[in-house]
Formats: sequence, structure tokens, C-alpha cells
Amino acid sequence: MHRTFSSSAARPSFLVLASLAAATAAAAAGCGGQNDTRPAKWSYLSTAIIQPSCATANCHSELSQRSGVRLDSIKEGYYQLLARHFVMPSQPTQSALIGLLEAQGTRRMPPDFALPQDDIDLISKWITIGAPYDGPSPAPVVSALTTAAGAGN
Amino acid sequence: MRRLLSVGALVGLAVGLSLLSARSAEAYPQFQFSSGTSRCAQCHYSPAGYGLLTSWGRDESGDTISRGGDGAFLHGLWAPPDWLALGGDIRYAGLRNDVGGAGSPETAFFPMQAEAYGRAAFGKTGVSLYVAAGLRGATRAEKTGDTIHSTAAISREHYLMWKPSATGAYVRLGRFYAPYGLRMAEHIYYVRRYSGFNLFEETYNLSGGYLEEDWEVHATAFTKPPSGFPEVLQSEGVRGQGGALYGEKRFAAMSAVGLQGRLVVNSEQRVLQGGAIGKLWVEKAKLLAMGELDLQRHDVTGGVAYNQLIAFLGATFFPVRGVMAGLAAERYQEDLRVATTARNAFDLEVNLFPWAHCEIVLLGRYQVTGSGKSDGDPGSLGMFQLHYYL
Repeated sequence: MHRTFSSSAARPSFLVLASLAAATAAAAAGCGGQNDTRPAKWSYLSTAIIQPSCATANCHSELSQRSGVRLDSIKEGYYQLLARHFVMPSQPTQSALIGLLEAQGTRRMPPDFALPQDDIDLISKWITIGAPYDGPSPAPVVSALTTAAGAGN
Repeated sequence: MRRLLSVGALVGLAVGLSLLSARSAEAYPQFQFSSGTSRCAQCHYSPAGYGLLTSWGRDESGDTISRGGDGAFLHGLWAPPDWLALGGDIRYAGLRNDVGGAGSPETAFFPMQAEAYGRAAFGKTGVSLYVAAGLRGATRAEKTGDTIHSTAAISREHYLMWKPSATGAYVRLGRFYAPYGLRMAEHIYYVRRYSGFNLFEETYNLSGGYLEEDWEVHATAFTKPPSGFPEVLQSEGVRGQGGALYGEKRFAAMSAVGLQGRLVVNSEQRVLQGGAIGKLWVEKAKLLAMGELDLQRHDVTGGVAYNQLIAFLGATFFPVRGVMAGLAAERYQEDLRVATTARNAFDLEVNLFPWAHCEIVLLGRYQVTGSGKSDGDPGSLGMFQLHYYL
């Protein structure tokens, strides 16, 4: 099909594309500030950071449960991370989760791309204050399952 | 006899390889306008594109998109009856992924997709049944202590549809992706990965819409697969129920503007998202520009709330028949309050179609976290795919 360029036909799309480009450029330049004002709460960490990055196909979704770990919900993710000792309350340096996220002598999690350092720092801050649960009631009852050693490798 | 043996060999090859793995039955939004077609449903049975090709789409694959050949089922060696359409996809991939840490860079070679499709039309009622089925693929094989719980088989799409004509009203009931956004083929692109359309995240839907030559609308109510369904029918990702709207207006078969909205609710959060897409085909330059921008609002049980941004902007060049080369920039900002929570990706994708049914994909991707400064490790991905479809 032969079509000739029509400026009137192109105008709406050009305007939308130009707007998208401007918005993307503005976003790339940095929406928001440099100071991390986000809450160090598990309900935030789970839904904003952990679920989108980890609860995907063949990884830690409800269906796949790679290495037996589920991170697809606030409640289940909290239970798994604490019961399996990926998170040691008040001890971020002893928590295997931080080592996995920072790839400290182990394969990085998530394996497709590193989390922003501010995300890792926020998770570490939550662990430092005792890793409290603030998700839907009732809070999961954490009992030890197994150690985190080797998990995720 | 020789012809029958050729058909048998091809069918045998397809069935054999279809036991390997599966990924998405992809469509390329880059072909809208650039191939001389304006509506996705001209080339695909699905009203919003995706999956099994129509006879028009198969003709285009030989005449317009590739360097030549017969795009018909089995290369035209055998034609199914009019009421039946069949197809399949086989894809093998290799990648090099560098994200830092032990074991990086990672090199992997794996069967990426092996999937069969069938569509049966019931007389002249306008009703048809569509089924896609294959085996799940995984980049990283299972190891001791690193098992994947899900079964190997999956049926990502299966639906009943009433669509009496090429344009006009339609209704679909079953499993598929709700029409939304640019619908890029690669699920790693942020506009798919972070907006509810990542790999194997097809929902169960009741969807309807109206198609015209220069506009279309789609409305979808969706839910996660019921827990009683077997694993082969289950979906991945964070699941919920809700609705999606998508509307597109086209201008002179060379440009399009779309608006979209989606609401997802589950027991822990409510996600409201909305955005726009734009496409512009410049015939003289053989260039298609595409963009998508989405904003997402998360309201989490307990009072936590935050806003996100997902953007894609790219241009695809068609220098000669059978070659498609695209450059794109992407942005995903996890929380608009903090600039350093963003990811930026830059992509170079070259698709070669040396012959109908055959494709070679070369993909290079570079990602940086945060503001692009020293606030996270960068990542790079190099990938090839060898693709054959029946």
C-alpha cells in the first residue's frame, strides 16, 4: 500500500509522541528528590520492591516458588523471609537477603538486574529496626523452616 | 509421495520440538503501518493482535515482511480446511547476562518457546475456539535445591470468541492478555514487565470491543485463575481481579494514538494505572516511532501509597525488506518521590527475516539503576533467538 505523508494525519500522533518523549526525558532527568523519604515498612517493601522484582515467572511467584520460596504477597513473603532466616531481625549484616541483593560472594538476586542501592538500603533499614510486620491481619506466625544457606544459588 | 513425506517431516519436527518449552506467541507492534496494515486483527485472529496468523498475515509474512517464500501453514504444502487454522512457534535462544556478583557474566543457551496453536470456527456463526499450548521454558535450569514448583506444561491462551466479521463488534471469553498498551513482543521491556503483562501473566477475561478501519476500543473484565484450576491453567506474577480499557484512533493509515486504563484489586492492594501510546510511520524514511507512558498508583492495605512511572520510546528502521532494526529507551521509576529508585534501559534490537517462517533476533540491552550515577550496579544483556513458525 502506498501512502503519502500527511502532516494533518501525523499531527495527533506527533503530539502524543512528543509529549511521551518530553515526559520520559523529564522522568529520566529525575522525578522526585534525592532524599529517600519512603517508609521502611514491609507492606511498602513487599509491594513496591520485592513483588515486582522477584515474584515473576520461574522465580518466586505462587506458582513457581523457585527454591521453595514465595514472595508474591505481603504476608507470605514476610513469613518466608523470616522463617527461612533470609532476614534476621535487627541484624542486616547477618541477613542472607542483603548478601543476595548485593551479590556478596553469591549470585545476585534478582538475577536479571541489580536493585537500586537505595532499595537495598531501605530493606536494610527495615531489618535494623527489627523487621516489624505491618501487613494485613492476622500477622503470620513465624516458625523456623530451614536455614537460608545456599538458597538462591 | 515426496510431498507427503515433507509434510510429515515438518509436522514431526514441530511436534517434537513443541515438547521443549514455551514462551509468548508474540506479535510485533512494529508491523502496524510499516507493513501496509493498520489493524492488528488483519494479521492475527486475536482482535488486538497476538498469536496465530490469519491468511492475510501469512501472505504478508512472505510478501512484505520477509525476503520471500510461502508464509502459509507448512509452507503451503498442505492447507487445512477453511474452518480450521493451525500453527506453531519454535524458538531457541542464547544470552550473556552481566549483573555483577558471583557467576556473572552468565551465559545460557536454552529452548525458549515451543508452542502449538489451533483455531476452529463453528460454521458461519462467527463463533470460534482458540487454544494455544506448549511447555514452559526457563532460562536457568533447575538444580538441586533450586527447583521450580510449577509443571512444565502451560496453556497461556484458550478462549471462545464471537466475531462475525473483520470489523464490528466482538466478544471473547477465556484466557489471554487484556488489550492494553503497545503490546511489545519482548516481555523484558518495562512497559510489559511492570504493568501486569510479564511472561505467563495472562488472566481469565470477559472482553468485548468494536473494530473499525481507523479506530478500535476494547473493554475487559479479568480475574486470576481460580485456585481449583490445574497448574497448566494458572498464571504467574502478582494476581488479582479488575478491568482494563484500551482505545486507539488511527490517522491516514500512518499514525495512531491510544489511551488506556487498568484497575487491579487483590486482598493486599489496589493498583490504578493509566497512560497513552503513540505511533508514527514515516514512509520516506522507512521509520516507525513508538512511545508509551503509564502512571501507576498503588494503595496498599494499611495506608501505604505510592506512584510509579513506566515509559518506552523507540524508533524502528526498515532499511530493506526482511530487516527491522530498533533503538529504544525505557524508564521505570518505582517511586516518584525518589529519583534513585528508577531503572533506565537502552535497547538495540535487530530482527532478520531471511525467509517466510524464519527469524533471527539479536538484542542488546544496557540498564542503569537510579539516576544513572553511582547508585547501583549497571547490567548488560546480549541475546540471540532463532525462531521458526509453522
